[in-house]
Amino acid sequence: MKSIRGFLVTALLATMTLTLFLAALHGYRSSMVEVQALLDAELTGRARLLSASINGQTHKEPVASLNGQRAFQVFRNGALLWRSDNAPDTPVTNRAGFQDINFNRHRWRTYTWTDENGGIRAIAAERIDVRNALAENIILESVLPVVAALPLAGLLIWFVVGYGLSPLRQLADQLRRRRADDLSPLPAGQQPVELMQLVNSTNGLLQRLEASFGRERRFASDAAHELRTPIAALKVHLHNITCTLPEGNPELASLVSAVERMGNLVEQILALYRTSPDHYFAQLAELDLHQLVQESIAGLFPAFDRSALQLELTGSTALMSGDRPALETLVKNLLDNACKYTPAGGKVSVAVNDRPHGVTLRIEDSGPGVPEEQYTRIFERFCRLGGDQHNTGTVGCGLGLAIVQHIADLHGASITLGKSSFESGLAVTITFPRHATPHPGAA
Amino acid sequence: MLPTSVIIVLREVLEAALLISMLGAVSGMLGLSRHWAGAGIGIGLLGALSYSLGINSIAQWFDGFGQEFVSATMQALIYLLLVSIALLVLRRTRHEDARTGSIPVLMALAVALAVTREGFEILVYLYGFSSTLSQLLTVSMGAVIGAGIGISLGVLLYYVLCHPAIQRVPFISFALLALFGAGLFSQAIKLLIQADWLPSQLPLWNSSNWLPEHSITGQLLYVLIGYEATPGAIQVAFHSIALLVLLGLAAAIGRSRALPVDQGKVS
Repeated sequence: MKSIRGFLVTALLATMTLTLFLAALHGYRSSMVEVQALLDAELTGRARLLSASINGQTHKEPVASLNGQRAFQVFRNGALLWRSDNAPDTPVTNRAGFQDINFNRHRWRTYTWTDENGGIRAIAAERIDVRNALAENIILESVLPVVAALPLAGLLIWFVVGYGLSPLRQLADQLRRRRADDLSPLPAGQQPVELMQLVNSTNGLLQRLEASFGRERRFASDAAHELRTPIAALKVHLHNITCTLPEGNPELASLVSAVERMGNLVEQILALYRTSPDHYFAQLAELDLHQLVQESIAGLFPAFDRSALQLELTGSTALMSGDRPALETLVKNLLDNACKYTPAGGKVSVAVNDRPHGVTLRIEDSGPGVPEEQYTRIFERFCRLGGDQHNTGTVGCGLGLAIVQHIADLHGASITLGKSSFESGLAVTITFPRHATPHPGAA
Repeated sequence: MLPTSVIIVLREVLEAALLISMLGAVSGMLGLSRHWAGAGIGIGLLGALSYSLGINSIAQWFDGFGQEFVSATMQALIYLLLVSIALLVLRRTRHEDARTGSIPVLMALAVALAVTREGFEILVYLYGFSSTLSQLLTVSMGAVIGAGIGISLGVLLYYVLCHPAIQRVPFISFALLALFGAGLFSQAIKLLIQADWLPSQLPLWNSSNWLPEHSITGQLLYVLIGYEATPGAIQVAFHSIALLVLLGLAAAIGRSRALPVDQGKVS
């Protein structure tokens, strides 16, 4: 069914209409019998009254009937004593008791009372159509409200069903408003009995999901953390071996590079999970992003120098609230990428500006750039364009931009990718709000 | 007066309401949109109004049997439309890629014809009392009660037929449609006999004592399966053929693999 409310209102209204109308019809039939009996009793009384009041006297002039709706005749031993002006001189019926007959262009209900002792026979008559109309009018007065009340009942049912379904609507709203990373249980205490099973099952599911995510996080983080020590030991032993072996050994150079790469990967995995909005507690403080970038460039300058890259920083003081260690990681990752993927002799431009809508950090390089259709993909974890190794020949682990995305989310910043102002290359622009509020998941 | 108007209007409204309910349930089985119902009712109401306005000239056709002819034609057309719908559904059960775009159109046409015919009967009946205001109130109230009961029965039947357990057995809905359609066809034949287009014959049986045609049960069965207390041989023969054709199609649909019911769309 498309709508529970629609179904309930329609089905309830149909059921109510059916039962009410059938009951009204039954009531009409029963009432009709009762009213007819009442009118018959009244007709009997009138015939008897006529018989008693005539007192054996003959009335020459007929009595004017009431709108022609009633008639009477009184006879003694067959001779007419009295009649209404709409009744004939001869008896309209010779049978005692009730009878339906035709005279004077109408159908009549008659009652004949015979007094055997005095030889008096009184006939009282009423037009059947008038009787029926009278009875019907009386009964319709009671049926009409039932029919007229139905639209009101429909409206009330609509609101009552809406009210009854409100806990379901509220539960749906709670689930809709929930952040993707919010796996806290739904409040079960105030739910109606019918929804308890649903809420309990959903909470159980959320609990299992959170435990599963937690296990995943802990495993990656713990594994990376545990790998740090043996890698550090490996580096020391490698250094010692390097000292004992003659210089220029290609196998040894490969081994050193592989260990460096492994160490970098472990550090990046740790950084990724540390900066995850799910459990990173951002310490926001007022800082100058321009100065922070300047310091980061100073730290990375040797690498740029080795690749003979032209590095340029423009802009001026740009105050904002942010988490310094996280922002340092963000700038370092972006500069690392620019340094890795820009060929020797290329250019990297960094600009920090205080704009009306926030603080912008723009890093452009003259590297090969990224195809536009890959812009969203490069923020995925372990995404390396062109396979395991970029066509620049640079080895990466594919976590740098995922970490950048985490940190940007922590600050409520937006990331825009585009083509750099150089002949080729990528431009990454991050716009930070001047007064960042910590990411809800981080608080 | 009131019970009479209730029965007359109930009989007409119920006929259209049952048709809409059964087609609605079939539509749900096929996962089709229900817009055809609104379109059919709208067109039917306009048709009923036009038919009522033109009845004086229509009644003069065919030596004064124009109304019988038009009514019989409409009923026979509804039957043929039901057969066409059943055939298209059968084709769909055998070829998944069969196009079902014409099914809603045929459904809308069947509903429009039914509403035109039944609406016309009600309008003519009510018009007969327009000059006597004292009776018009009673008759109108009877009409409201009759229409209310008819529509309610239609709505409840629709929800029963839309129950997943019944939707899984297409034969049930199509068998009901077969009984209903054959009844309509039988009524059309009766009208043609009344207009002397088909020969009138002695009744094959007389079940008036057992189940009078004008009792409430008799009226309901008249609407549901075209019950007649004293049917002639021709009427029985046509009724049986019409019923067998639709029942055969219903059985074929029931034997085919399950219809591609979109449970989410069944409502």
